[in-house]
Amino acid sequence: MTRELLELVGIDSRRLALEWVSSAEGARFAEIVTTFTHRIKELGKSPLGVAA
Amino acid sequence: MNIDEAVKLHRTYYCLDCGVCTGSCPVSRVLPSFSPRLIVEKALLELGDELLQDKDLWSCLTCGRCFERCPTSINFPEFMRNLREEATKRGVAPALSHHGLLQTVMELQTQGVRQKKTDWAREAGKIAETGDVFFFVGCMPYFNVIFRDLGVDSLSIGRNVIKILNAAGITPVVSDRESCCGHDMLWNGKPEVFKKLGAQNLDLIRESGAKKVVFSCPEGYYTFKHHYPQYFGELGFEVVHFYDYLERMLADGSLKLQNGGSAYTYHDPCRLGRMAKIYDSPRSILKHIHGSELREMERNRENAVCCGTTGWANCSSCSKQIQAERLKEAAATGAETLITACPKCQIHLNCALATMDTKLEIKDLTTLVAESIA
Repeated sequence: MTRELLELVGIDSRRLALEWVSSAEGARFAEIVTTFTHRIKELGKSPLGVAA
Repeated sequence: MNIDEAVKLHRTYYCLDCGVCTGSCPVSRVLPSFSPRLIVEKALLELGDELLQDKDLWSCLTCGRCFERCPTSINFPEFMRNLREEATKRGVAPALSHHGLLQTVMELQTQGVRQKKTDWAREAGKIAETGDVFFFVGCMPYFNVIFRDLGVDSLSIGRNVIKILNAAGITPVVSDRESCCGHDMLWNGKPEVFKKLGAQNLDLIRESGAKKVVFSCPEGYYTFKHHYPQYFGELGFEVVHFYDYLERMLADGSLKLQNGGSAYTYHDPCRLGRMAKIYDSPRSILKHIHGSELREMERNRENAVCCGTTGWANCSSCSKQIQAERLKEAAATGAETLITACPKCQIHLNCALATMDTKLEIKDLTTLVAESIA
């Protein structure tokens, strides 16, 4: 639902990620955050500007 | 506007202390601690600071039943609106329902986003980018996502407006750039957000070249008709409610209805009825459906009761009780279908109906008309 709302309001839903990571999965946490950071860098500046 | 200014503007010092407001208030009936009379009195006794901190400031439905009956015509809903503005200025947070999700969507629209919310409109019929008639859709595309779980298809109203306009030979302008009308921001103490949204809408409508703007949502209609001129001056286009349009189309024969044979009852929305004074056109439209019978609820027209919440704020057990009573009243008429005329009433009453045993169908008037086109 949140993704659908984001698309309607004009924000790329790839800017939203929801993952479950256990406290024992440090490597997985790092991987998810790195992948997400790369994705956001590729998508570039948010239509909302900085720190909106 | 501080409290003294609000008192002067709305002349609440004319209060006779008669209590008709509290006696008429649907909230006071189920939540005795809430009293419009007491709020007016407290403001006059300079207990305003206490008022602004009180959570009851957000309990008012702004439905206008009190104003309708006040012998000295004190506009209590507008007075509350001004008090809320002052409370928000002082950092009091309103009691928002749905975790403030809807308000977030509204505020985002002032941040330069490009909405993508009209795909459904292109599928529903012919729409244009410029033209004489602008169809102001409002929040329905968002409601459609958020309240789908209740089994309410909010967009069916929008789709049917386009279909009916098309059937009458009109290709309306529908735009992705249309912003929220600002109604909820205005009533929840955020006039500065309302002003931004309003300015965006006026720019868009003026660019489209539209001479008429058609609304199916009573809140959008009332906000454009009443508050936009107050904040922005002359609009330069005509503000029309879809039902008035529909009534004219039915009267001159450009639209014909048939077989809707059933018994209906009609729920007057606050913004459409008491505030915009549109009571007759929905009833006249229902009469045009062959074989239909309108059975009025005991509390109708200016005495109608609110659907339980406004502005996506403060949905409580009190709202639920108001809704349940209203649905029982509708069922008691013997009608099979309760006709609503506002997307929010439709959502709120469906939400309450889901928890009740009452056999009743809730349908929007526009949808009923679309189903009855000859």
